[in-house]
Amino acid sequence: MLAGFRALLHKDLTLERRGGRVVVEISVLSLLVLVVLVIAYGPQAGQRPVAAAGALWVALILSGLSGASLAVSAEHENDCLTGLRLSPLEPATIYAAKVAGAALTMAVSQAATLLLLVLFFNLQFDLNLLRLIPVLLLGTFGLCAISTLLGTVTSRLRAGEMLLALLAAPLYVPELIAGVKASAAVLGGASLTAVVLPLKILAACDLLFAVCGYLLFEYLAA
Amino acid sequence: MRLSLTTAFAAATCVLVLAALFMVFVYVPTEATQGIVQRIFYFHVPCAWVAFLGFGLGAIAGAFYLFFAQQVWDDIGYSAVEVGMLFCTLVLITGSLWAKPIWGTWWTWDSRLTTTFILWLLYAGYLLLRVIGEESERVARLAAVVAIVAVLDIPLIVISVRLWRTIHPAVLVTRSGEHGLEDPRMLQTLAVSMLAVSALSAWLFWMRLKTVRARSRLFQLRRVLAATQALRNGAP
Repeated sequence: MLAGFRALLHKDLTLERRGGRVVVEISVLSLLVLVVLVIAYGPQAGQRPVAAAGALWVALILSGLSGASLAVSAEHENDCLTGLRLSPLEPATIYAAKVAGAALTMAVSQAATLLLLVLFFNLQFDLNLLRLIPVLLLGTFGLCAISTLLGTVTSRLRAGEMLLALLAAPLYVPELIAGVKASAAVLGGASLTAVVLPLKILAACDLLFAVCGYLLFEYLAA
Repeated sequence: MRLSLTTAFAAATCVLVLAALFMVFVYVPTEATQGIVQRIFYFHVPCAWVAFLGFGLGAIAGAFYLFFAQQVWDDIGYSAVEVGMLFCTLVLITGSLWAKPIWGTWWTWDSRLTTTFILWLLYAGYLLLRVIGEESERVARLAAVVAIVAVLDIPLIVISVRLWRTIHPAVLVTRSGEHGLEDPRMLQTLAVSMLAVSALSAWLFWMRLKTVRARSRLFQLRRVLAATQALRNGAP
């Protein structure tokens, strides 16, 4: 199972390294979202870590849903998903590899998003940004887990992107609430021990989405 | 004249609903602190119970559909979620009607209200999927997965009052563990109201299931006809 997981992950990352489509597209989308929000917030935006946290998570969700959709829809070209299903790989292995690939890709684009956040919201390159990383990683994983599961089918439907957003966004709300709370606190100077409860909620949601995806992916990939 | 089971059940539901309306507006005493607006409680709580029941049935039927791949489970799940969605919408509406005079606002991002709204959004997505997506096994499977994952929000609604601060009243089980209905007539009215709304929802579910089953059968026949015609056209 591990060998299959590694092979699939390597394939996805190699394709992304050669084409760079997903990283570029979701980075550009994040940039646009941040620009719009900075303008919408007005000149006071730079003084509020809460505004920065909110903007960061809006960019994360919008770009993440788009990125997951792109990553999964790539498997529909030439019916590659059917080919994967016919291989000896277990559906759960395919799912795990797709989630890992999507999460790593998103992590790369989020590094760029974080840089833009610092510039647009007048943040500092300090310890607060480092404390933000575990919060973002947990949030990214959960989003990738649920988007990959649902995107397997929605990417083949008409209005698939809208359906993915409609289905995934409400499921993601508990993570969103916890993530924004934790991010705002951390950007405001709080330590990680002060945001243990939101981190626990993020971890619990991630576990829930991962288990659901692990159990249910084979029914959706058929 | 012999009555069919459906007609008899519909008649019994009518009687129950009328009895519930009588008890809510005439029999039960007016609550001391909230006044007449408190009577919304006797619609709000039964609607919530029925909504949870509908979504729970939708999730169970979804799981059976994934496991057994029989169309009947998909039809049951779809019908149950539709009825659940109707009553979930009524929960939000009746809640808002109560909240405006009591809290001074139609809505607040309280933990229970937020988690209930998330539930409504999740199943709105389910219904949109059924409407926008084509009639296919793939869409039915995705809908079943959504129903199974979305139902996990229901325990979150129940425990939200313990996890986070809330201004939502705890009447059925107060924070000290007792129930908040002092007068026995209130409990009686609630019981009859629960029975009436449950019967109404069961009847609506049954009617909807008949329609959905007929539609599934129609699609199945169309597929068979298309396959037969294709075979005939392909024959030498």
